[in-house]
Amino acid sequence: MTTTYEITYSTHNTYEEDVREALFSFLVIPCQDETQKLKSLRFSNSLQLEAFQYQNTFGFEVAQLYNARPFKELGFQMIATVEKEHRFLPFGNYYSLQEEQSLLQDYNFYIEHHLFLGTGYYTTIDQVYTDKVLIRQENESVYNYLNRLNLYVYQMLEFDPEPTHVCTTVNEVLKLGKGVCQDFTHLFIALARRNKIPCRYVSGYLNQGLNLTGTAVMHAWAEAFIPGFGWQGYDPTNNLLADFNYIKVAHGCDYNDCSPLKGVLKTNGRQKTTYGVKVYPLLLSAHTEQ
Amino acid sequence: MEAVMRQEMSSGVFGNYQVPPQFLDEVFNSAGGVNPHYENIYQQFVKFNKEEFKELNEQAKSAFFNQGITFSVYSDKAKGVERIFPFDLFPRIIPAAEWARLEEGIIQRCVALNLFIQDIYSNKHILKDKVVPAELIFSSNNYLKAMLDFKPVGGIFTHISGTDLIKHSDGQYYVLEDNLRCPSGISYVLSNRVAMKRLLFPMFRKLNISLVHQYPQELLATMQSVAPEGVDVPNCVVLTPGVYNSAYFEHVFLAHNMGIPLVEGRDLYVDKNFVYMKTISGPQRVDVVYRRLDDAFLDPLAFKPDSMLGVPGIMAAYREGNVNILNAPGTGFADDKAVYTYVPDIIRYYLNQEPILNNVHTYRCEKDDDFQYVLENMDKLVIKPVDESGGYGILIGNKATKAELQEFKSLITQNRRKYIAQPIMALSMHATFIEEEGRFEPRHVDLRTFTLLGKDRQYVLKGGLSRVALRKGSLIVNSSQGGGSKDTWVMTDDNFQG
Repeated sequence: MTTTYEITYSTHNTYEEDVREALFSFLVIPCQDETQKLKSLRFSNSLQLEAFQYQNTFGFEVAQLYNARPFKELGFQMIATVEKEHRFLPFGNYYSLQEEQSLLQDYNFYIEHHLFLGTGYYTTIDQVYTDKVLIRQENESVYNYLNRLNLYVYQMLEFDPEPTHVCTTVNEVLKLGKGVCQDFTHLFIALARRNKIPCRYVSGYLNQGLNLTGTAVMHAWAEAFIPGFGWQGYDPTNNLLADFNYIKVAHGCDYNDCSPLKGVLKTNGRQKTTYGVKVYPLLLSAHTEQ
Repeated sequence: MEAVMRQEMSSGVFGNYQVPPQFLDEVFNSAGGVNPHYENIYQQFVKFNKEEFKELNEQAKSAFFNQGITFSVYSDKAKGVERIFPFDLFPRIIPAAEWARLEEGIIQRCVALNLFIQDIYSNKHILKDKVVPAELIFSSNNYLKAMLDFKPVGGIFTHISGTDLIKHSDGQYYVLEDNLRCPSGISYVLSNRVAMKRLLFPMFRKLNISLVHQYPQELLATMQSVAPEGVDVPNCVVLTPGVYNSAYFEHVFLAHNMGIPLVEGRDLYVDKNFVYMKTISGPQRVDVVYRRLDDAFLDPLAFKPDSMLGVPGIMAAYREGNVNILNAPGTGFADDKAVYTYVPDIIRYYLNQEPILNNVHTYRCEKDDDFQYVLENMDKLVIKPVDESGGYGILIGNKATKAELQEFKSLITQNRRKYIAQPIMALSMHATFIEEEGRFEPRHVDLRTFTLLGKDRQYVLKGGLSRVALRKGSLIVNSSQGGGSKDTWVMTDDNFQG
């Protein structure tokens, strides 16, 4: 069974002074993987620039705009249709506890997944907060632990966009006890990695028809590696497993690898950026695919 | 052994020259005789009296100043003061046979390190086979995820390497450092040679000295060999951080001598994944960039977001295969102190050969045998923390007090993994004209060599920069710390009769 979504990402940027030269980079295109197919993709912008794309380190498509004529305003819009397959979510563990343990401790496994096991600016937990690290029990499967972790982060933090910003680290989040989806996700990642479970940051869109938290803008969640199953998405902001309602754009080590909009501009003065997304299912195709 | 006095010539420029007993002198043997490959030049110099030589030396200095061969010193109070790099007229001479072996060793080392970098950014076999510890690489700031699974044209990452060598008192060469990022100094090598030819032309007629002036053409050919696929006549540029960079002279020099544009980041832009240069006749596509700025500043979209020096989007154009960058970003993890100790293993692993050049032996305190040796021989070793640079936290055993030795003993014992130790290397010495004394005295020297790797081409410059520690007894050859340089003559044959 599949669901088809239409996704609109739009942003509007205004500048106090003329921008003389600019390169914008948008990491907003839904990716293609085993569960989602990109059916159509359209860009438009107020400056009539031709968008171009490249693949980033993790293999995700990035759209770019270059402009060398002075401007004070840029509107950008992406409309994509995505077909999302309904897949079984993991249930229980796939390997025995012993097999799981030996895989997680395997040196080659560590080398393969080192990007998602190490910690960085966002995800290094200070010693002061050692008591807040949720430890996986000896007889606990990775699957059970991750479910417990999802609930743990969900309960520990209060959703509040006020006190945090794009540069907030896990330590600040732990201190505040509040944050947005980015902060929930960083905390989930940091704790999973502390337990030697590969875990990565995901940015994407969330179906707006469900009354969930974080649907008005781009959403963030985590993907953790379950031995024998593979990568599974966890949304600690909503205490849910990522299913067909989650449309992925990109993953990376942390927010830095996934920030939706980056730009290098030659301008002075202040600037203002607003953006929004629309994500809704076009039709629920009930037919079974061959 | 006692120092040999050269009293018979105390009136000349070699008056009272003392061959240091505990070091190797490049020019004189331990009995005070002149080494055969130096005989010719020695006979020339010994004819000068002090006044004549001083005059020649002044001419050399003004030649450099007039050519504008200067570098700026950051630490000076007056910002951006230009200085000439002190130059010594007595060339360092390397016999042909000795050089041939060196060259073989340098190529071997550079090729192996290039394979190492390629492997680290792709399959990581060397880590999986536990030859080099994975943590060592992953924890390095110079290991860039932006380079993962990317293979530049021809698999070449380190197009330009500067291997630093020294000659120890045992008469053997040792590699001190592999410079795989933006090694500098080549402009001095070429300018030194020009000055030498002007001042000592007769020597060049007498001796068979390898040429160096073709280096810029070799560098250009290297750049062209790694142009993006499908580009037959590539546009190459030198990218400089600008006039305030200490090596700006060299950037100008190389661009000029290769006959290609010298650009700053603001002269380039990226559109539709291609790099263009802004020219008065419109945009011109750029295919190969020899960049002389650090990785962190190369692309504000990929690395340091506040870099004003780089080219936004160049990493995307690079990964799409539309431009090549020399050296590849992210080579820096392979030339740091901790990886250095593994280079012999790296050579064996990729080339299945024994290393030709010596590494300075390194004791890793984490290993029990090594740890024991270090504790028992602290006075003969230099002890360094693996993760610090710039000379911090180093103990030089033969210059340390008892209290310092004791302190280090407990430091190492507490954190064995953090420390390595190396024997104190005795850099060879070379007769060098000391202005204040008006005569030659022995000073420590090292040798920076220059190697180019292109697609199906390898080149080692037959020559190099012999750097001299001008301060008496000093081992520091850096130009910013009172170092000077010498021309380096590699002989084309070892028939020294002339």
